[in-house]
Amino acid sequence: MFTLGVDIGSTTSKCAVLEDGASLTVTSIAVGGMGTRGPQEALDAVLAQAGLTLNDIASVVATGYGRARCPWTELQASELTCHALGAHMVFPGVRTVIDIGGQDAKVIALNGQGRMKSFLMNDKCAAGTGRFLDVMASVLQIPVEELGRRALRSEHPSAVSSTCTVFAESEVISQLANGVDLDDLAAGICASVAARTAALAKRLGVVPPLCMSGGVARNAGVRAALESALGAPVLTSELAQLLGAVGAALYAYRKQH
Amino acid sequence: MNTQEILNRFETVARDPAGQKDKYLAAGKKVVLMAPVYCPEEIVHAMGLVPMGAWGGDMELRDAKQYFPAFICSIVQSIVELGMRGAYEGASAIVIPSLCDSLKVLGQNWKYAVPSIPFIPMTWPQNRKPDYALDFTLAGLRRVIRDLEAATGATFDESKLAASIRVYNEHNAAMRDLVPALAAHPEITAAQRSAVFKSAWFMLKEEHTALVRELLSGLAAASPAAAKCPVTVTGILADAPGLTALLDEYGFQIVADDVAAESRQYRTDTPEDGEPLTRLARKFQAMDCCSVLYDPDKKRVEHIVALAKNSGSRAVIMAQTKFCDPEEFDYPLIRRACEDAGLPLIQIEVDRQMVNYEQARTMLETLREAL
Amino acid sequence: MAEEIKKHRPPPDPNSAKYKLGQIAAKAYSDAQAAKDRGEPVGWCASNFPVEIPETLGLAVVYPENQAAGIAARGGGARLCEEAEGDGYSNDICAYARISLAYAKLKSAPEQDVPMPDFVLCCNNICNCMIKWYENLARELNIPMIMIDIPFNPDYEVSDEQLAYVRAQFWDAIHQLEKLTGKKWSDEKYKEVMEYSGRTSRAWLAATATARYTPSPFNGFDLLNHMAVMVTARGKKEAAEAMETLLKEYEDNHEKGVSTFRAEEKYRIMFEGIACWPWLRVTSTGLKSRGINMVTTIYADAFGFIYKDFDDMCRAYCKVPNAINLEFSRDKRVKLCKDNHVEGLLVHTNRSCKLWSGFMYEMSRQIGEACDIPVASFDGDQADPRNFSEAQYDTRVQGLMEIMEANKEVG
Repeated sequence: MFTLGVDIGSTTSKCAVLEDGASLTVTSIAVGGMGTRGPQEALDAVLAQAGLTLNDIASVVATGYGRARCPWTELQASELTCHALGAHMVFPGVRTVIDIGGQDAKVIALNGQGRMKSFLMNDKCAAGTGRFLDVMASVLQIPVEELGRRALRSEHPSAVSSTCTVFAESEVISQLANGVDLDDLAAGICASVAARTAALAKRLGVVPPLCMSGGVARNAGVRAALESALGAPVLTSELAQLLGAVGAALYAYRKQH
Repeated sequence: MNTQEILNRFETVARDPAGQKDKYLAAGKKVVLMAPVYCPEEIVHAMGLVPMGAWGGDMELRDAKQYFPAFICSIVQSIVELGMRGAYEGASAIVIPSLCDSLKVLGQNWKYAVPSIPFIPMTWPQNRKPDYALDFTLAGLRRVIRDLEAATGATFDESKLAASIRVYNEHNAAMRDLVPALAAHPEITAAQRSAVFKSAWFMLKEEHTALVRELLSGLAAASPAAAKCPVTVTGILADAPGLTALLDEYGFQIVADDVAAESRQYRTDTPEDGEPLTRLARKFQAMDCCSVLYDPDKKRVEHIVALAKNSGSRAVIMAQTKFCDPEEFDYPLIRRACEDAGLPLIQIEVDRQMVNYEQARTMLETLREAL
Repeated sequence: MAEEIKKHRPPPDPNSAKYKLGQIAAKAYSDAQAAKDRGEPVGWCASNFPVEIPETLGLAVVYPENQAAGIAARGGGARLCEEAEGDGYSNDICAYARISLAYAKLKSAPEQDVPMPDFVLCCNNICNCMIKWYENLARELNIPMIMIDIPFNPDYEVSDEQLAYVRAQFWDAIHQLEKLTGKKWSDEKYKEVMEYSGRTSRAWLAATATARYTPSPFNGFDLLNHMAVMVTARGKKEAAEAMETLLKEYEDNHEKGVSTFRAEEKYRIMFEGIACWPWLRVTSTGLKSRGINMVTTIYADAFGFIYKDFDDMCRAYCKVPNAINLEFSRDKRVKLCKDNHVEGLLVHTNRSCKLWSGFMYEMSRQIGEACDIPVASFDGDQADPRNFSEAQYDTRVQGLMEIMEANKEVG
């Protein structure tokens, strides 16, 4: 039996197909989130790869901020539950999931059986999210993917401490104007996101092993800064960005049983 | 010491409160932290303990976020941050008054965030003027005494309090003399002025008075530099190096202040007559013109205008601590009163976490151009 | 199915508690206006100022907090907040205060008008922000301010010294008002007010305690509306009768197996904080659509003002929420959660209320542990609609529900 998970985020859409709630068949990812063609493109891609049509799918579950407006299903689960399920599948035994997405950051505590015990999310401010990194990368005029690489090269990370994106932006601009090294600025930006998320994690209580999901997990600079702020290794995977979709597919399977 | 050496000494102390704390601890003294805005320091002093101000520090908040939502002021948050990071280790207790909502919250969170340093609440009456408020003030003071005795093992003796009151009144007088003396010497920078006030929180008052008196005689003998643009500063805190540097850069000189951590502390002396503890309570009853003290006539507003006028200030600068609602409520009234008095006023938002003062720079630059 | 019932709801029954309570709340405004029209002095009064004082003196008062909530619920929050911000009030200031200060200047708002005051009655047992707000009202309107200071109590018990201080202020306030308005304090009238207040409070406590039944005979959002009467009209005969009707209705609902929660009650939560008035329907629907009934809030406990004499009354005012320490606050909530079989805690991190939100992280952690229930929080505001995000609320409520669901599955 095939189940499909659709994660419609703020900037990207992700799909995952699972067979019998266990083996991960295929995944896809498309640029463009809620209200764009992104969800359709992700769906087309995942079905094409799997050689399936929607009719072959026993159940579809949507998650992410666009979950309520997913055209292919009325079943939905919050991204909290989906990230928890996805993380537990990809990292068996994981107890703390840190997810930094485009618009929000969350920390989820799992019990030993992979069940979500509690969660915390960031306050309304965008600082500390993927969106913050996008804004900062454009201030530095480098692709956002480069932020993490540059951060790792830095020996003297700069301090970026403003509580809000707007102020942090002007802070970075003035440092840039003062000739601060680009690598050091990148490291400062990554550390700033990590510090915010680490505070959230500490509020909830950090129980290892930890893993990271969401698009920002691919940013090695943020990950390294997070490890040092939390004093524990943070696992990640190629599938990091897809854990929500994987979890939704798993949720769909479990609801059938 | 010459004037420059004295100023350097103030700056060293202001920059290194931890060093001061360690020095007192090494000398076998016990240190008790005093949270904003008003604490009965004289009692702590009289018990042979060293009261040290704990107004937080300019830093990035990290651990304190486990306890506070983002909209609680950074003074309160950075006090907990420093506590959690161990900066106050060695202190025997912290006295926290409940003069504003954020301070109430500070006391409650402190118990769990920094369990190694006991929390001693000081409950002042807001309706402090009527006679019946005296007994309640006394009860609050006695409770602090009891808690201090339990936390430190020191004992309280009312006759020693009389001596400490004298030390504090003398310090008040020295700090009040300081303001016009500094105003007469434009060569003293805003950063140096700030250090003189800030260091008072980290030294025994008798030591600080002596140093201030030495500075005053040095200044009396020195010839003043060319005049700068005189201003009055108001707010809770105005000690951020980023801010004082800008004041200096644009040629402003603070000639008077209504800053909570500075002159507001020194306006009111403890009266002379009566039993020492009762006198201390009467001092609180007599205090006024402050954003965290009930002020139905809004005397603080007129006080600021008078202060600015009497000191020859050409403008008022309000250093607005972000999320400090007692100050935020006063601002519209201060703004109007200054306008009526023909005094330019600017409100600069400050925050313990701030590293970028570009907005402040623009405002100060514009003010300087306008004057 | 449950939704159907709502659509065919009959017109309000004048004998229902809801109707009676609504009338009392509305009458408070019209009575004050009538008094003003007769040329009598009218006051603006803080919500937890001892209502017994104006009630016994026969003084008409209105409640700016109540008015601000009404304005916010009817969509005027942003307009009035922005008005105050235009006058220099920071948008970090409590939105009730901003709305009220804007109203003091504009003197009219279609959402909820009140007569302009001749004096203000302030009590800071709910926050010190109240003092600042009322100082400014008194100053701007050039009217006297009567202030009762009830300090935040760091201890569990009310000390004799605090009692003496508060009692002296109560009498001071009474004497100031007598002088100001020419009205006279009467011990007999006070006794009557005290008795009604006791009756109203007992009925309220008993009515809110029917949440112990599963399903609960009421939707907790009812309490957010009815508490206005508890706060402002407790000492009136009509209030006692209306609350007794409410109790009877809830007991009847239980007998009949029905509820004012018009959906299947799958989950039971406690709601922490002031309602998000500008988003009341969104916040309520977000719960109801998932079968989540908010069965209790601290209001259930807080407004049971039962006292035997004047001193006891003073003590009661020292124990309102926000005047008590973390441990006492926590224990009251833990009891409510346990008594009412609560399965989850939803916390409103209220941008307007520093005191209520300021130690909530730690307190809700402790409640969650003590009751072994999940805790979720969302960002919002009691009256400024700009400080709330529907998507954020929805995700967090769903997350909370999914944990409660999983907890049930495990058993």
